Amino acid sequence: MSPVAATIDRLRWGPRRVARLGIVLGILAFFFALPPVEARAPVVPLLVGLLGVACGIWAVTRGVGRLGWGAVAVGVLGILLGVLATRSSGTNLHIVVSWGALVASTLVWATPLTFAAIGGMFSERSGVVNIALEGMMLSGAFFGVLGADKFNSWAMGLLVAAVAGGCFALVHAFFAIHLRADQIVGGTAINFLALGVTGYFFIQVYGDVGSPGNLPRIPNVNIPGLKNVTFLGDAFGQLNLMIWLSFVLLIVAYVVMFKTPIGLRIRAVGEHPRAAETVGISVYLIRYASVTLSGMLAALGGAYLAVGFVGSFNENMTAGRGFIALAALIFGNWRPFGAFAAALLFGASTALSFRLATYSDSAAVLFQALPYVLTLIAVAGVIGRSVPPASVGRPYSKQ
Amino acid sequence: MAAASDTPVLELRGITKRFPGVLANDRVDFDLRRREVHALLGENGAGKSTLMNILYGLYRPDEGELLLDGKHADISSPHGAIAAGIGMVHQHFMLIPVMTVAENIVLASEPRRNGVLLDTAAAERRVRELADRFSFHIDPHARVHDITVGQQQRVEILKALYRGADILILDEPTAVLTPQEAVELFEILRKLVADGLSVIFISHKLNEVLDIADRITVLRRGRRVDTIPREGATEAGLARMMVGRDVLLRVDKQAATPGELLLHVEELHVRDERGLEAVRGVSFDVHAGEIVAIAGVDGNGQTQLIDAITGLQKPESGRVLVAGAELTGESPHSFLEHGVGHIPEDRHRRGLILDFSLAENLVLHDYAKEPFASRGFLNPGRVLESARRLLKEFDVRGGTPQTRASALSGGNQQKVIVAREVARDPRVLIAAQPTRGLDVGAIEFVHRRLVAERNEGRAVLLVSLELEEVLSLADRILVIYEGRLVGEYDPSVTEEELGIAMTGGRREAAV
Amino acid sequence: MSEPVEAPPGDSAPSAVERLAARHRAGGIVTPLITAMIAFFMGGLVVLATGHNPFRTYKAVWDGTGLNWFFKFGHYHIDLPFTQHRVFFWWDTNANALAPYNLTQTLLLTTTLILTGLAVSFAFRCGLFNIGGQGQYITGAIVAVWVGSSWAGMAKGLHVFLAILLACLAGAALAAVAGLLKATVGAHEVITTIMLNWIAYWIGSYAFGRGGPLQNKVDIAVPISGDVVRSGKLPTFWGNPELQALHVGFFIALAALVVFWVILNRTTLGYQVRAVGFNSEAARYGGINVARNYVYAMAISGVFAGLGGAMDILGWQYRLGVLDIQVSNIGFIGIAVALLGRNTAVGVGLAALLFGALVNGTSTRGLDPSVFPPELAGNLTLMIQALVLLFVGADVLVLAIWGSRKKIGLGRRTAPPAPEGAAT
Repeated sequence: MSPVAATIDRLRWGPRRVARLGIVLGILAFFFALPPVEARAPVVPLLVGLLGVACGIWAVTRGVGRLGWGAVAVGVLGILLGVLATRSSGTNLHIVVSWGALVASTLVWATPLTFAAIGGMFSERSGVVNIALEGMMLSGAFFGVLGADKFNSWAMGLLVAAVAGGCFALVHAFFAIHLRADQIVGGTAINFLALGVTGYFFIQVYGDVGSPGNLPRIPNVNIPGLKNVTFLGDAFGQLNLMIWLSFVLLIVAYVVMFKTPIGLRIRAVGEHPRAAETVGISVYLIRYASVTLSGMLAALGGAYLAVGFVGSFNENMTAGRGFIALAALIFGNWRPFGAFAAALLFGASTALSFRLATYSDSAAVLFQALPYVLTLIAVAGVIGRSVPPASVGRPYSKQ
Repeated sequence: MAAASDTPVLELRGITKRFPGVLANDRVDFDLRRREVHALLGENGAGKSTLMNILYGLYRPDEGELLLDGKHADISSPHGAIAAGIGMVHQHFMLIPVMTVAENIVLASEPRRNGVLLDTAAAERRVRELADRFSFHIDPHARVHDITVGQQQRVEILKALYRGADILILDEPTAVLTPQEAVELFEILRKLVADGLSVIFISHKLNEVLDIADRITVLRRGRRVDTIPREGATEAGLARMMVGRDVLLRVDKQAATPGELLLHVEELHVRDERGLEAVRGVSFDVHAGEIVAIAGVDGNGQTQLIDAITGLQKPESGRVLVAGAELTGESPHSFLEHGVGHIPEDRHRRGLILDFSLAENLVLHDYAKEPFASRGFLNPGRVLESARRLLKEFDVRGGTPQTRASALSGGNQQKVIVAREVARDPRVLIAAQPTRGLDVGAIEFVHRRLVAERNEGRAVLLVSLELEEVLSLADRILVIYEGRLVGEYDPSVTEEELGIAMTGGRREAAV
Repeated sequence: MSEPVEAPPGDSAPSAVERLAARHRAGGIVTPLITAMIAFFMGGLVVLATGHNPFRTYKAVWDGTGLNWFFKFGHYHIDLPFTQHRVFFWWDTNANALAPYNLTQTLLLTTTLILTGLAVSFAFRCGLFNIGGQGQYITGAIVAVWVGSSWAGMAKGLHVFLAILLACLAGAALAAVAGLLKATVGAHEVITTIMLNWIAYWIGSYAFGRGGPLQNKVDIAVPISGDVVRSGKLPTFWGNPELQALHVGFFIALAALVVFWVILNRTTLGYQVRAVGFNSEAARYGGINVARNYVYAMAISGVFAGLGGAMDILGWQYRLGVLDIQVSNIGFIGIAVALLGRNTAVGVGLAALLFGALVNGTSTRGLDPSVFPPELAGNLTLMIQALVLLFVGADVLVLAIWGSRKKIGLGRRTAPPAPEGAAT
């Protein structure tokens, strides 16, 4: 290790930088084994990964605990996965890791999370915990399908979904804000309520027939020039409209939250509601509006899932994604682009879990647990450091 | 002081406000003249803040009326108060710590660019202009949690001025300031009044009120006792009006006879929750049979110091020895086992579990030991028996051992805490702000008890910001300022000298 | 009144337990009763709005629960256990009749709901919201079926005991993960337990799926576990074991209620758990190790839920399939049971009976399809549960109704707390 240490000392890099380098090396160890580099000799990921581990250990001895051990963990993981990848067959590797398709797939799975996470951001930044993103998403999925079917238009489907999400959110808002109920119990109740309501009306309306066929779907956006470009074409050439809208949403949400007076007021209400009240801001109004908005956005995420991607509704089809969105929000430190990055990570894990089925049918089932494991690790590793709005979760009483 | 003009700029007539179980304001009259500083004086619970909260639109009065410039006015929210030109600086600052000074000041009246976007540059510019006009030294770009308390208060004042206030209400503004900062505040107030503002100054500190006010209104138990001009007012006279009888300020006690060294603190360094150093190399000793007081304004490291010597926080460096045993960085349990008793400064957050019964609270430290439990199982009979005994001995009123702690008054709750700590027979007793929020009778009880414990041979460490309490109880006084001990005095020192020491230096006092 | 002024906003927020505890005392048993009634009423509105008759529906549900059995008095006999005598008994215990059969099914559900309810309640008393009861239940079930279907030669008592023990430990382990994460890095237990639920779901689906490690060896086309062998089954005492009879697990569940009460109110561990739940800062000041108690509380909760899984598997299910895992939601109903029962032993017992009856009464077996379609009824149950949760979380509403009775002059006068900052 001392030549490494000596080199590092000579470069006069701080230990935090070295730890970060270690994390990068660990990731590279894995990536070098994948296409397009596709190094087939196991020694490549081994060496690169070991270098990363070394950096991590050096950082730990210099006092940077968390980041250093993170580098060690990532390095070890990179070696393991890299070696595994070198041992798998070339064709399988190409099926699983076809980057263009993987990116597209990641975006597909990340988009519902993005919508819900941004919605959660508005709610939480104003001080109301929204555990009910899951229920609002599910309601958006069902009512989106219902609306699209009955009005024969995907746009109407989206509208109905947003209204439904807004309604559930209003219930949550009423109990949390006016009645000052416990926001987590209330949110859980909304989740069950949404589950019951969507299931009930799904059977009531579509009982024997099942989910409607020929559902008007949200269209994909075909970018003409891009189709033949290898990577970009696969990745971006044919993405759904909602995915592009999610990018727009990110930018709008960022500007609104951090660059407009209304965003300043929302944040003030979330940090110190009494202070906001004393300068004349209506805490109740801001919170109601933020929670309702969060319901509408989460519902749009669910609507995309049902009307845009899958094309049908199944009971409980969101399968915990609302909670993953919440975790993405926390991981992203309650900022839009941070939450988006986390959503991409979780989306990638879902996308991967489907593709890894090429290796083993039975194990494919196990891989479905991957996003949840990842969320668990993320929540465990990051929570200590991210700082929520100071008044989040605490009911506010006007005098 | 500029002459106050004749017509009152503000008048409250017959204000009455009831809360469940308490009559906070009882037909109170109050008027404010232009360009005057009018002090509102009274004990805790007299109704001062309630009255001002009504004026600021946070409460609605049950009876009475408000006149502005002679005309009837109805203020139903802070928004309305601001529109009427009334600004309020609250006792607990209404500032958002993570936001900048400028953001806090312009909140809800933000300058805009293109109608939609926030114009941060314009906001900072305007704040700077306003600050310069009154010679405040404020960085608009700084975040509120990075500036000092005195500066935060100036931000609060700027907030009111930015919205065009010509009436300024200050609620106990010096409670969080050092004496030096208080002097600076008074200079600012004088400047503002010269500029045309009228100021209402709420306080319970007699000497300050006599320093700054033109007129003084005294409230007692929700009623207005009298309104008098400053000329001719005396401390003793005001005190009598506030309390209704002559107040005994000092406790009887004999000289101390210190014995063995029981608490030794050496070069202690402790960080606060933001990672900044709050205690910077504090060393002191407390012997058996003496009361050592640490005097200082809130926020100079007392909380962190106490946390470090009771096990609630690990110090960065330094040593803590209790009766010779090294306890640096140990758990609270360990400190308790070695005979450290702690009367915490926040009895609701730390001292008591309000939903537990009195009996359960009384065994909070020792519930797992004989005779209260054996082999993991509680013995409720013995717990109750011990509780009954203690409640009687300490004359706790308001409930039986099974009563929930939340049902008791503040004074009786504090008695329960004192009973618990003292009954464990500690060697070192640490009392942090032990009489905060208590009425006179309870204060007397606590003071007598602390002296009694000292006479029994315990080492008592008192941490307090009430100078009267410190001077009355202590055998030795240490002053803490910005995390360091800056002086040691014996109880014959004057309040003025102590006050100066609390600013961290010696000033040539001008007579 | 001289109270300190309103505390600065940096304070820790009162936990759900603190706020619920402060309120629930004022209501006694009436508040949960009102809550349940309002929830049922609103459920009835939904039924009405979708074109069915709420009265007939609820009557049909009632008949399906088997509770009507208690109203059929008569002159019957019952066997005394362990002897040959028969003594007089008011009710007909012949489980071939419809009402007693329905009752046994209700009590089977009640058994499990008591345990999953206790899992939520115990954690709640420590200030933790354990939504992971479902995952802990499944984990217990997985281990129970695995142990129960292996080692056929073992002595009966030992086999059952071992299966139950390991199931409880498995549930505890899963829950302890969430507890540890909370204790060490402060990760919110709501998110971690939900993630663990899904992880258990998928691990179970993998384990018993086609080609999975725990799949039965007899028919590899069916994604189901092996059967629990004779020595692993719990003895039944009422009904025909071929048709799901009531087993001794019922008494184990009742015993669990007692154990719950004893631990919380008569042991030092219970004192610690309650202290942390009410005011973790004061508990810390008192010398209690808060982090460790989080782990203990979650682990014990996991034991209850895992025990529930074991009871179902060893008592009547005898096997576990992927479909069973994916459809099961008894852990979630436990949340409503716990909250409706105000996290007390008696409350959980009664609430478990209520929800057990409701779920059985609305099940395919219990509900007459001509009156109300059972698939809809399942979702109706979900909605009623949700409403219960909603109103419990907003006990303010129900207490407001209860409290307004003071205006009519009934009830004791209790002084409500003055608002913040009132007296200064």
